[in-house]
Amino acid sequence: MLSWLLRKSTALSEVVNHFINTPFPASSTPVDQANFLALDLELTGLNPRKDHIVSIGWVPVRGQEIVLSEAKHYLINSPVSVGQSAVYHGLHDHQLKNAHDLAEILSELLAQYAGYIFVAHNSRLDEQCLRFACQRCFGKAPRFRFIDTMQMEWQRLLRQGKVVKHDALKLPNCLKRHGLPAMANHQALEDAYSSALLLLSQLKLGGNTMTLSDLYLLSR
Amino acid sequence: MEIADVTKFLAETTPFDQLDGAALGQLSAHINVYYYQAQDSVKINTDRLLIVRTGIFTLYSDQQQLLTKLQSGDFYGYQQLLTGLTDSDTLICEEDGLVYWLAAEAFHQCRYQYKNIDIFFQRLFSRRLHQYREQQQASRFTLKISDIVQQRKIAIRPEQTAQEAAKLMSDSRVSSLLVEENSKLVGILTDRDLRSRVLAHALPASTQVSQVMTRQPQSIDRHAYLYEAVQQMSQHNIHHLPVTDQGVCCGMLTATDIIRSQQDHPVYLIGEIHRQLSTDGLERCSQQIAALAITLSKQQVPAYEAGHIITTITDALTQRLIYLAQQKLGEPPCVFSWLAFGSQARMDQSLNADQDNALLLEKEPVGTVGEYFSALAEFVCLGLAQCGIALCPGNIMATNPELRLSLKGWSGRFARWIATPTPEALLKASIFFDLRVIEGSKGLFNALQEDILQRTTEAPLFLYHLAQAALQRTAPLGFFKNFILEQDGKHKKGLDLKKRGISLITDLVRVYALYAGIHEVNTRGRLQQLAAQGIIDSKDSQNLNDAFDLLAQLRWEKHQHDLQLSHDVTNLLNPAEISGLARHQLKDSFAVINEAQSRVKQRFCREL
Repeated sequence: MLSWLLRKSTALSEVVNHFINTPFPASSTPVDQANFLALDLELTGLNPRKDHIVSIGWVPVRGQEIVLSEAKHYLINSPVSVGQSAVYHGLHDHQLKNAHDLAEILSELLAQYAGYIFVAHNSRLDEQCLRFACQRCFGKAPRFRFIDTMQMEWQRLLRQGKVVKHDALKLPNCLKRHGLPAMANHQALEDAYSSALLLLSQLKLGGNTMTLSDLYLLSR
Repeated sequence: MEIADVTKFLAETTPFDQLDGAALGQLSAHINVYYYQAQDSVKINTDRLLIVRTGIFTLYSDQQQLLTKLQSGDFYGYQQLLTGLTDSDTLICEEDGLVYWLAAEAFHQCRYQYKNIDIFFQRLFSRRLHQYREQQQASRFTLKISDIVQQRKIAIRPEQTAQEAAKLMSDSRVSSLLVEENSKLVGILTDRDLRSRVLAHALPASTQVSQVMTRQPQSIDRHAYLYEAVQQMSQHNIHHLPVTDQGVCCGMLTATDIIRSQQDHPVYLIGEIHRQLSTDGLERCSQQIAALAITLSKQQVPAYEAGHIITTITDALTQRLIYLAQQKLGEPPCVFSWLAFGSQARMDQSLNADQDNALLLEKEPVGTVGEYFSALAEFVCLGLAQCGIALCPGNIMATNPELRLSLKGWSGRFARWIATPTPEALLKASIFFDLRVIEGSKGLFNALQEDILQRTTEAPLFLYHLAQAALQRTAPLGFFKNFILEQDGKHKKGLDLKKRGISLITDLVRVYALYAGIHEVNTRGRLQQLAAQGIIDSKDSQNLNDAFDLLAQLRWEKHQHDLQLSHDVTNLLNPAEISGLARHQLKDSFAVINEAQSRVKQRFCREL
């Protein structure tokens, strides 16, 4: 569907411009009217400058509903071996033979979900990786608007006066705390879906009057 | 791209559990996931199917009446999807949970593509509870007369000669003839009759058929079950039964026909029973009942037919014991009717039924009459107990002198129950209003039944109290994790299928039947007649019938399960062992019962 974008390298940067030029919703927008995209990346390592994306999964949340028809999971061609990181994401080099080009997938992401607020669990690494990846593919990277379900959970627990151990913020433990079904961990789409579920619960806990600016505060 | 958790859940949820992986993946792609918090109100008129994934949701009617609770695996919205009509129920989230919203188009596509899924939702909607499974092939154990009887009628007129009869028999290669006058059955003639009544007596070949035929023969309706024919033949020691269709003779059923149709039929047990010469012999016969029940179950005989068969065996044992008692005690001093009450009367006996019987006598039970029937009752009831049909703990047995009464005595007793009903008395007495004659005089029994029905149809106070008694117990609201959810919101482990289901329907239907003066005592039969006479709506009748069949089926399966594990046979169902399908069906059955109860309340329990 995005072949027109891929035809010329100049077209590629068009996608970035499109994303940059699409405004994010005003911070006074009630959260139930905003569009979110929960996403997760699996990497060859933990250094965004040097390591590569192995797979990416995402699923949008509109009107507080997770839209499964748009759930996507892509394996990405990596210029280096997945090496020891296979222990975490379970993806081995031979599985990545038929994988997609990073530029192709990033183009789809940027074209389809311009104006969306991205959601991830421990989003800092994902955000940095995305930016470096865009830089590499398109020569420039847009600013993303991310909210972090892990930060939100941390703040929520602190406000309840609880001592938060590091383990408590891991995705499976958060799901359990919110009474949400347990998922297979460390698969990009499953993790994206899990953080989407967590977001739904967190949005509900925030009450009916919560706006995006409240959400940004909570996710700092 | 599918989410493993979503497809896994669908794969475990009736009716989507029938789909393969690819189809499940496709289905899940049309789902939106939403999270509800306790107290949230669910927008239900959205033209999508709601599938509860986690949490608990409570459905209220527009009058704020608690209708049901939805939990993991339950659905809402199929009503609107199927009919396009919205309703005014409200659905409130009670415990935080996730729901899946399945898009209308995908729902319809799925129904269109998978017949069983369509049937599932159609039946969920229309409460046609039975037949979720494909109809089984007619089992040979539940063959009807119409299934095996020769579709040809070979008849002769009474004024024709024995020789003509013999020629007709040879030509048609049959061993018996129907004798008809103006298309009316007046007798039968068998080859044995020609031998023993014509040749042996040296009568001429010109002897008229009317002189040697058997007059007023027994007959059987072509829609009766085959085992009923076996029963009738054994009881009267005959081998030929004219078959009637709506009272008109249409053919002949012979013992050979039956043997040919089912060489190893376990219902030969009935024939065997009628050949026994001692109670010990009957006890040996009765030991085959459990094995027979397992065979019936393996043959997928529906529960109501199995109940019918079990009852027929109890009838046969009772009849034979009465015969043996008379051999021992001599001819009875007067005409009598042996009565059965309760489930035996209704022909829906289960394997753990106990005795409920009594004697109706032509004369007052005093002096020698009293002594004779006391001895007879003793013989029969103890004999039945020896055959595994437990003595009635409530002493509703012919051995109880209060239950050996003349027509006048019984009539007076029923008159008291009906004219001055008290709630406590009726709770105990309701069982007496389902009665059937097992052996002895039909005429005597008919007189009593007429007398009873004449009284009940004109006794609003009696019907009021009978209805009150029928409303004392209610069906549970539904299932809630591993508990049964009661009307008062409490949880309870274990569901008594009889007390909280089958009996409730029996009780309701009895109220209507006594009000309408219906002679039939079988619950399904009563429902049919009530609908035919317009006493109750035919849809309500069908719903109650379906609920009744379903509950009876579950009880029958539970009993089979107990039998196979050599457990005591009980009516108690563990909710943790109820399958997804049965859970939906049971919930609907309970809803049908609750509706029927409120109708009975409106109709019979208003201020008098």
